Amino acid sequence: LHTPVIQCIRTHRTNTWWDEHLTEDNASFLKKVVTEEYKQQTTDKLNPLKDEPWPRHEWVEGSRRVGLVAVKLGMMPVWTKSGERHVVTMLQVQDCHVVKHLSKEEYEGHTAALIVGGKNVSPFHRPEGYLEVFRNAGVPPKQKLTTFCVSDNAIIKPGTPLYAAHFRPGQYVDVTAKTIGKGFQGVMKRWGFKGQPASHGQTKTHRRPGSLGPGGDPAKVFKGKKMPGRMGNIYDTTHGLKVWRVNTKYNILYVNGSVPGHRNCLVKVRDSILPTRLENNKNPPFPTFFADGDEEIPEDLYDQDMFQFGEPMAE
Amino acid sequence: MNECKCVAGLASSAAAACLSSAELRSHRSALFSKEQVRQRSLYPRTEKIEVMLQGPGLQGTLLVMNRGLSTPYSCTRHLTEWHVKSSALALVDGQPWHMHQPLIHSCDLTLLTFKDDDPQIANQAYWRSCAALLGHVLDEAFKDEFSVELLKLPEVPVTAGAFCCDLVLDSRLDSWTPTEVRTASSQTLLTFEERAAQSQNGTVSLYRCGDHVTVSGGPLVARTGLCSQYEVTSVHKVGECEWGVLRRAQGLSLPLNLTAHHNVWKMLRKRAERLVRNVFVCDNSVKQVKARHCRQKHCFNALVSF
Repeated sequence: LHTPVIQCIRTHRTNTWWDEHLTEDNASFLKKVVTEEYKQQTTDKLNPLKDEPWPRHEWVEGSRRVGLVAVKLGMMPVWTKSGERHVVTMLQVQDCHVVKHLSKEEYEGHTAALIVGGKNVSPFHRPEGYLEVFRNAGVPPKQKLTTFCVSDNAIIKPGTPLYAAHFRPGQYVDVTAKTIGKGFQGVMKRWGFKGQPASHGQTKTHRRPGSLGPGGDPAKVFKGKKMPGRMGNIYDTTHGLKVWRVNTKYNILYVNGSVPGHRNCLVKVRDSILPTRLENNKNPPFPTFFADGDEEIPEDLYDQDMFQFGEPMAE
Repeated sequence: MNECKCVAGLASSAAAACLSSAELRSHRSALFSKEQVRQRSLYPRTEKIEVMLQGPGLQGTLLVMNRGLSTPYSCTRHLTEWHVKSSALALVDGQPWHMHQPLIHSCDLTLLTFKDDDPQIANQAYWRSCAALLGHVLDEAFKDEFSVELLKLPEVPVTAGAFCCDLVLDSRLDSWTPTEVRTASSQTLLTFEERAAQSQNGTVSLYRCGDHVTVSGGPLVARTGLCSQYEVTSVHKVGECEWGVLRRAQGLSLPLNLTAHHNVWKMLRKRAERLVRNVFVCDNSVKQVKARHCRQKHCFNALVSF
């Protein structure tokens, strides 16, 4: 048997880091130029009305609109008017832009899609192909790109900025993010097995899975049997989270409960698909909230049930 | 005389309009080879000269070379492979000297690379060689029936942002504008050979690269393999002259050990697309450019002066 000979082509390593052949003042000049360019691009896109926006339609029952990409900041407590305490996660929307539009035919044949990008990032550590999409949209390069399936009346022109006021208090959202990686974990932590008692004669068996299946009849272990393995670092969604408060000055969403991911990770936020929560998601800002519109919204928007400090308490 | 004829033959290409470009090029190349053979025959007996090497790590090395035959390139061959690959230009008694030009008398030799403390001379020579290459590329770019006449390679400082080449195209191409300006990647390692041809006005240096012969104002860089990124950025119409519409083609290039990140390259390229006016080394005269462009000029200025 001849083992296949792996051919290696020895080449010189030609790519280097961007700083390598530049002097210090060159590097700082380039960084400044890049930030100025980003600011210029963002201000150019601030008035969607000016550069031929796409037609805006009204919200119809059954239409799906875009979501946002946000940064998970942390958690804090919130009280209702009846005195109950809940915890909320703060998600900040930093530099969210619509980057590309894929029509029904391009995407999969059923719905159109919009690709949205999150936080701005420097162009020096990204490959050329990645930066091309952003150059076509006229938008600074982003750290995370997500696709949202969208109905045809909710499409937005690439380059429009998206703000936190896209969601209003009282709505329910689904949040998707990459969970914290726990590494190789045993069956009790990974799948929530009960394990075995700590004492009363147990020999070397306290956290093991125990039996693996029925016995002689199948005489095998079924596929998909829950066993120890690598846990975390996968995308997971938490459904049906209520939005308690929206801060329009800093673009922060206060979302009920906890959200997958570590602090400062990028999450995907969209309208909830749970059938029991569809009532609350009626008449949202459609297709999105535009900052140059006529409506003036206050800096903070609170949910009706939320207790705001300084109000009289109902005994 | 033989020399005058050859110079006249190379300069008056307007008279040879009936020949196609490929024939012209082979004719010029044949003339160059003849001249090369003639100059070699000026030293029938090999005489020895002493070459003293100067430079970091090489002080006081004495090499015994042949008069009229050995070039600074052959001196580097006696040293290490790194010297051969990295030296772009040589300084003979303080004068810039092409790597493949033969040494005539005993002298001091310094080898220049792009990464020295003061690479101004090497950079300027690199710029000149890129302009010559641009001429070569444009010569070959058009089909044989259209005649391309390269007028001159203006001496542009590196800080201007792009090297340029003035040319006159065939009158049939008057309305031609470049739709797509693509990169010209010269992958083959062609050597620039040089011979000083004697003419009535003094010495004129000719350089040959592959099949193409150019006249240049100063020494060129050793070989084309030294440029890593090379792009022809734009072609502008500058004016009219007695032969036709005068155009200026511009390009941008960086040497092999100074490859730029794709972002940095894009910014430099955007700058190289703008028309370069005949501005010479005096920096004060460039104040007519707007503030933003001035900063970009400094960018490249510092990029080159390591």
